Amino acid sequence: MFKKALLALPVAMALGGLAAGGAAQASEWQDPTDVLQKLLDNNPDSKYLHQSEQNIMMMPDNPALWVAEDGEQLFYEERGPNNASLESCDFGKGPGVLEGAYVELPRYFEDTGKVMDFEHRLVHCMKEIQGFDADDPEVAQRHGNDTDVMQLTTYIAMQSSGMEWQPANEHPKEQAMLAAGEKLFFRRGGAMDFNCASCHGESGKRVRASRLPKMRDSQEWTKAVSWPAHRAGHDNVRSQGHRIRGCAWQMRHAGIKPDSMANTALIAFWNEAARGEPAVLPDLKR
Amino acid sequence: MPAQTLRRGTLPAAIGAVVLLSGCQFFDSDDGDVDITAMSPDELADYIVLESGSYRLEQSVQEGGSARGRMEQDELQRACSFTTSEIPEGLSGEVIEMARASYEEPPGGPRLGDWERGAELARSGYGFRVGHNIDDHSSRPPGGNCYACHQMDPDEPVYGTIGPSLAGYGDARGTDDASLSYAHEVISNPHQYFPCTTMPRFGANELLSEREISHIMAYLLDPESPVNQ
Ligand code: HEC
Ligand code: HEC
Repeated sequence: MFKKALLALPVAMALGGLAAGGAAQASEWQDPTDVLQKLLDNNPDSKYLHQSEQNIMMMPDNPALWVAEDGEQLFYEERGPNNASLESCDFGKGPGVLEGAYVELPRYFEDTGKVMDFEHRLVHCMKEIQGFDADDPEVAQRHGNDTDVMQLTTYIAMQSSGMEWQPANEHPKEQAMLAAGEKLFFRRGGAMDFNCASCHGESGKRVRASRLPKMRDSQEWTKAVSWPAHRAGHDNVRSQGHRIRGCAWQMRHAGIKPDSMANTALIAFWNEAARGEPAVLPDLKR
Repeated sequence: MPAQTLRRGTLPAAIGAVVLLSGCQFFDSDDGDVDITAMSPDELADYIVLESGSYRLEQSVQEGGSARGRMEQDELQRACSFTTSEIPEGLSGEVIEMARASYEEPPGGPRLGDWERGAELARSGYGFRVGHNIDDHSSRPPGGNCYACHQMDPDEPVYGTIGPSLAGYGDARGTDDASLSYAHEVISNPHQYFPCTTMPRFGANELLSEREISHIMAYLLDPESPVNQ
């Protein structure tokens, strides 16, 4: 029941956002279960999308919804040394505008002079607005259901469910990062010579038991990049950054850091590869 | 009110280029310090990987040295980093040449070792991972991870499909010299036959020792091996 109320919330916010003169949305908020159902219906032959029937069955009870709920409270609570809420944080669509913000990131921010991915921006706001220090657990801890960063990420990302991925690509720095992200995706390296395409270049392939999504299939890829997702095998909600770290580790590349240019460029490119497809937020994965 | 961070002035493009060319780290920088729009995508990618502080390059790695060595590309890795689905015209021959030039036959020629040890190595995906969770080769030796990409023993339930099935491989190929040489060449450096393949260079990159390769070859080719039952 609580979850139903939560699902209704973004719609109310959408209306508020539009009334306040927000930019026109490419698409409307949709329940993540409905978004996934449509992807399944449109792609009956995708082995990646159809790997588990339980996936769609569990979506209405996605444990990530509870994490989003915790995130909602955190977002509006006055916290940190500055005793401030995150309502003045600008994720690119104006202070406090969450609707549709997640699917348009990464983007260039005037105030930092940088292209930032979602998590980098969130942490930036927690430091600048709320006054947290880089070493404070509130911003230093990034992974797991009980971290502030995952809770906030899940809540904020959810406000973009069903909307089309459209990472910003107008500013020259955004274009530069997108182009570099493509190069990084295909950059061979590490002890085993892997690039991202080694495992995400073809459809229907497996590494051991894991079905692999294909980057050039935008309908497979939109689910692939739809993080935060409750990862059943980890029993935790995971972020885009957590997935990238895991793949870099499997690739035997050097460890990749959060809030880094490489992380941002890769996310820019992988969101770009899903451009125009609806995001499943939060998603549920094996 | 959100506190604004001071926006540092962007350096002239030329400075970015000098950093790249010299490979030196003049400053601990990120995109606040250099003009990323003045670089080509390749230059920017190299800058991001090697100079921007994005990776834990200083971490020690199992083969010795630091993780920086992992991220600096060799000739073959650079050649195979194209962004198209298919290998560009004319590149195949070049990559095959490169791979052949560095191939070394094992002393005394390729041999078949012990298929049981080969089976263990083919199954194990352990080894060479760094970053947040470092594989400790002193407690557990690295494996060949063949099952990540190949079917081998037809009774093994879980296997990857990035590479072709190798079930019955020895039955089909036999154990003559030509067959042993070919298997060794492919495992050591598969780019000699499959330019820009996704399969790692197990011998050339010293992921497996010659002895370990001989065990895996036995697992593939020995008529007694379950791969050939
Ligand atoms: C050695 C193989 C391998 C390489 C190389 C690799 N990945 Fe992955 N990737 C995987 C596996 C395995 C999964 C998990 C799929 C599953 O659990 O169904 C995965 C999952 C993903 C997912 C989420 C899809 C999902 O359903 O979990 C994304 C997005 C992704 N990888 C992106 C990347 C990027 C970007 C790179 C390069 C930095 C990369 N991968 C390199 C093997 C790889
Ligand atoms: C990351 C995936 C991957 C891993 C790991 C891998 N291979 Fe391969 N392998 C391939 C691919 C892909 C091919 C097919 C060549 C091509 O078209 O690129 C191949 C081809 C081969 C062939 C040649 C088959 C033929 O038709 O002649 C042999 C033999 C082989 N692999 C053995 C191994 C062994 C032994 C291991 C473990 C030590 C291994 N491979 C690990 C991906 C992999």
